[in-house]
Order: sequence, then structure tokens, then C-alpha cells
Amino acid sequence: MHTPLDLEPIAQAICAERRYRYVGKAGEGAFKQTFHVLLHEGTPQALKVYQPGLSRERTDREIVAMTRCCHPNIGRLSLVDHYSYSGVDHIFSLEEFLSGGTLTSRLSAGPLSRDRVLALGEDLIDAVAHIAFQGLVHRDLKPDNILFREDGVTPVIVDFGIVRDLTLSSLTESWLSRGPGTPLFAPPEQLNNEKALINWRADQFSLGVLLSISAFGFHPFEESGDLPPEIVQHVATRRQSTVRFRAAAQTSRLAALIKMTDPWPIYRFRTASDLADAWRRQS
Amino acid sequence: MTVYHQVGHQSDNLLDNENLNQYHGAILSPVNYDQLAVIAQIFSARARNDFVTIFDPQLYVPNSERGCLRKWPYFPSDVDTADLASDSWWQNLVATIVDNIAPMKPTAICSPAVIPKGFSDEYYSRLVLVGRELSRALAGNNVWPFQTAIVGLADLATPNRALAVASILSRTDSERLYILLYGDVHPRIEFSETEELKGAMCLISSLEEAGLRVTIGYCSSDLLLWKAVGASCCATGKFFNLRRFTKARFEEPPQGGGQLPYWFEESLVAFLRESDLIRVRDEGMLSESSLNNPFGKEILDQIQNEPEKPWLALGWRQFMWWFADVEARICKGDVDVDDVLRRAEQNWLELDKRRVLMEEPRNDGGWLRTWRRALAEYKK
Repeated sequence: MHTPLDLEPIAQAICAERRYRYVGKAGEGAFKQTFHVLLHEGTPQALKVYQPGLSRERTDREIVAMTRCCHPNIGRLSLVDHYSYSGVDHIFSLEEFLSGGTLTSRLSAGPLSRDRVLALGEDLIDAVAHIAFQGLVHRDLKPDNILFREDGVTPVIVDFGIVRDLTLSSLTESWLSRGPGTPLFAPPEQLNNEKALINWRADQFSLGVLLSISAFGFHPFEESGDLPPEIVQHVATRRQSTVRFRAAAQTSRLAALIKMTDPWPIYRFRTASDLADAWRRQS
Repeated sequence: MTVYHQVGHQSDNLLDNENLNQYHGAILSPVNYDQLAVIAQIFSARARNDFVTIFDPQLYVPNSERGCLRKWPYFPSDVDTADLASDSWWQNLVATIVDNIAPMKPTAICSPAVIPKGFSDEYYSRLVLVGRELSRALAGNNVWPFQTAIVGLADLATPNRALAVASILSRTDSERLYILLYGDVHPRIEFSETEELKGAMCLISSLEEAGLRVTIGYCSSDLLLWKAVGASCCATGKFFNLRRFTKARFEEPPQGGGQLPYWFEESLVAFLRESDLIRVRDEGMLSESSLNNPFGKEILDQIQNEPEKPWLALGWRQFMWWFADVEARICKGDVDVDDVLRRAEQNWLELDKRRVLMEEPRNDGGWLRTWRRALAEYKK
């Protein structure tokens, strides 16, 4: 593993050349770093600079996927370009800057109210349905990748870095024991690299975990005292979700979460519209 | 909730038989009939309200010599050399099938599928891709796409394999699945592996629960198990080789399997030869269903009054009538499959107690314990 390059000087150089105002670093992932910049007229944007030498195909797929999506709850891409810095070619993109913070920071204050979970779920299910309709699987839905618009209530899915385009061949080697994704939010088929089982229902599972944590403050497969690696192991081995989770979901009248987080895709909602209908019926 | 007639050699005359009018559809055979004959079958079926015609391209073993199949315009000329892992080969095949078959206006077309060497995830994914291609190609044609899936029964015996297969198959774009349970059990012999049966039941019920309509092709008396777990439709035919999907069926003569007449007896859930039928009749153990079966009545009359007269064709009809009748009774809730199997097992024990032994040594009802156990363990 090589140490990721600090991309801040490159971001500043891009800003200088394009006459953007550099505000500061906003985030960092394995493949890219995000910077807050202002365009000439003062419009805030997220400048994302990709690490050099990473899989070009994966970067391209992320960009193509984001270009294909057009939904109020999915981050909007406005520009993709290259910038040569010290003889190395860097890809960068401009996306809308979401100033309302992440879901992670919201949850640091504790679980959300039932009404907030219902509203959050409705928006995100609609966005996941849109992603699914494009033949895409995001594969990395987690609170860090849910940002809010300035209004503070509109959630937006970002970071398509490991998006899977089901119409194209997989970029994950079959011999790998684990597929890409954030383990704590990934479904068993992703954790076990069972490619044939992956479709939009993988995102449904991650969304189910995300909403469960938002509603109850714990993971559906988390027994009291479990550490994250143990929770991941329960999911990977397809244990049933915990009794306390199912009880919480039933009591809170959020039973759709139980089906969303079933270890087997066949037992989750088969279509996005089935999921949306079931979610709305809980309101 | 219905039954379809799996059309075979010289069996289209059964489509109009008034005593078999509980069949609400037919799975048409390009192996036994040429294009003109199938067009005539579809045309004639249109006169019957809601009668469904399903065209199965039957490319299961594409390089075999099978009746009229090679004469059909969709039959691939490069089948011996084609790369079956090629997307474009399948796309062309589906396009050719749709171009040639959709204008014939069947109600539905099944996606083409070949019997694989092994039943891997990649194989099932390929089936889904081909099915998706068919759904796309049929869009706007007013012809339903059926997602074909040949499923290895032995493969399903592995714990949780059925759920993995169901998860893959449920990625289909089609609302209807046509499942062919592939095994190596001879057409007239009953399945008898508990784990395989449990796997098949789990596959069917999980797909149905997901909102897909499952049709099980090539059924025999095992329809009892498939209906018990909620299969929407089951299909069968007059020949024994139309009641089982095995590799051997592609090596049999076009006239079908064995030509001995058999009677299907619900009280034993078994096929009986004539001498055994007489034994069971004399013990007063024929079921009410058998005594109400119009073809059964004819057979019994004939055995009584014209014992030399063959009843092979009546035997086919007797089974087909029972198949449709029991399916209807199950759907209405008049029959509980568990009870049927339990009573049948008791009847076999009673026959044994009375020292009534069947002419066929293997015909002893032994599979009923397997079936009952499979059903009971599945329900747990």
C-alpha cells in the first residue's frame, strides 16, 4: 500500500489557474480528496481531486455513473477535467458543495425521531431507485456518504467511487474473498464477493442498516457489546438480525427495515417500487 | 393458479379434449411440430378464452438431433462452434427467436437456455442476462417473456444454495419464471432425495414470495410438493418423458418413454400397471378422485368388459385429468397435500399388511416418507 498523496497543493494550483477561490479541505477518501472552493460568482462547489495511478477505469466509471444520475437526492456533477501537476496527470471534478454536514455528524447527537427517519428513508429510497434504474449499484451507502443541503433536511447521496455498473464486467477480481465497500454497512453478498448476487438490493441492505442506525442507534446485527468486526462477521455468515433489532423495528412501526436487511437478497424487496410502497405504508 | 399442457408428440389433439378443459394453457413444442403446425395450434387456442400458449424454443441440448427443431428458422446454424459465453451470440439468438416467433402471436415466449455442465452462479447469471434480453426484445410486442431457468436438483441439496439461486434468478426483468428441475431420475420413478426436494421447495416458495409467478415444467406427481409451497403453475404431458426433465429424455425416441399403460392412483400417489390396478381396486382402495375421473371410469369399464383392448392412451388422459383436478382442489383448499401424502403412506402400509404386493418391486411407496419428511422439514 502506498501512502496517499496530499492533493491540497494540486487543488490550490487548479484554483489559481481557473480563478476559483480556495476555501479549504472538506474531506478525504481512499481514492480522492475533496476541497471547498467558490466559483467566480461565489457559487460554492466541491472540488474533487483524484489520486494519481489509481484504476483509471474505476474513476471513469464513477464519473460516468454520476453523469448518468440526475436526481435531487444525488450529488450533481458539473465538470470533469484533467490537470497536469509536476508532470503527473490528475483527474478532478466539480460537484455541488453540500454545506449541511454529514449524516454521521447528525447521528453523533443520537438517533433521529421516527418522523425524521421516515422522511430520510423516503428521500433516500427514491434516490436508490433512481440509481437502480440506471443499472447501477452504489455499493458504499453509509452515513459518511449522506450529506445535507443547506436547508439541513434534504439528504444527498455522494461518492460513487466504487459504483458497480451492472451492464459492464466487474472490476473486482473473483478470487478476492471480499468485495469493495465499507464492511459495517455492506450486505453479505458484497462481503463475500458473491458477484452474481449483487444488484440494487445490495444498496437496499446498506440503506436499511443506515436507517436502522439512524432510528435506533445500533446495527441490525449487533448484539450488545459486539465490536464492528464481530458485527461484520455476523452479516458475512448470514446470521439473522438480532431479536432486539426486530423488536425495535416492530415497536417503532418501521418493520420494512427487517426485510431490507435480510441476509438473502431474495427475501428483501424485489423492486424499488415495492420498497417505496412498503416504506410509505409505515407513515 | 393453473395447469399447462406440455405438448409432445401427437398430443395436440388433447388440447381440445373437453374432459381436459381444466388446462388453461399449453407449452408448445418446436421439437414435435413444424412452424405451420404450431401456428395452427396457436390460432385454434385463440378461440378459447384466456387459453395461454407458451412457446419454448427448447434449445436445451442444441447440438442434438431432435425432431423438427433444426428446421425452425431460429435454430442457430453455428451451434456446434458457437461460444456460448458470448453476449453477442445470445443477443442474436434472442433477436432471431423474437423475429420469427412473436409474429406467430403466442401468449408468451420462454427465454432460450442450455443444460450446463455445472450449475454455477455464472450459469444462472447468464440465464438472467438472456431473459433480460428477451424482455427487451419483446417490449411492445404484446407477448409475455418467460424467464427460463434450468435448475440442478442435486445442486439444491447444498444448504442455502436454493436461496442463492433464487437471489440470482430474481434479478430477472420478467414477472414469470419457467423452472425446469433437472435431475437424473428416470421419468417414471419418483424423486427421493429429501435435501434436493427441500431445496426445490425453498427455491419455488422464495421466488413466489418475492412476487414472481413460477411455472414448473415437466411435472409428474411431484406437483403435489410444488403446489404445497405455492407454485403458481405446473405443466405436464401425456408421455412419461414429458413429466421429467433429464438428460436421458434427449436420447429417447420421439414417441416418448415406455409404452406400458399406467394408471395414476391418488390413494397411493403412485403409477400402477394394470395388474396392480386390479389388485388395488379389489382391495377397495381406489380414491374418490380416481372413481370420478372420466378416463378412469372408461379404463375400469374396459378392463371389466374388454380386457384385451389396450388403454395406453386412456392412461395418459387419466393422469392428466388427475393432475388438473388435484391442482384445482389444492388451490381451492379442498385438499391438504400433507394429508394426501400421509394417507397414501398409510395405504401402502395397509396393502403390505394385507400382503398385497405390486408387480413392480420398486413400486412400494417408499418415496412418500422422503416427500413427507421434506415437506415437514421445509415447513420448519
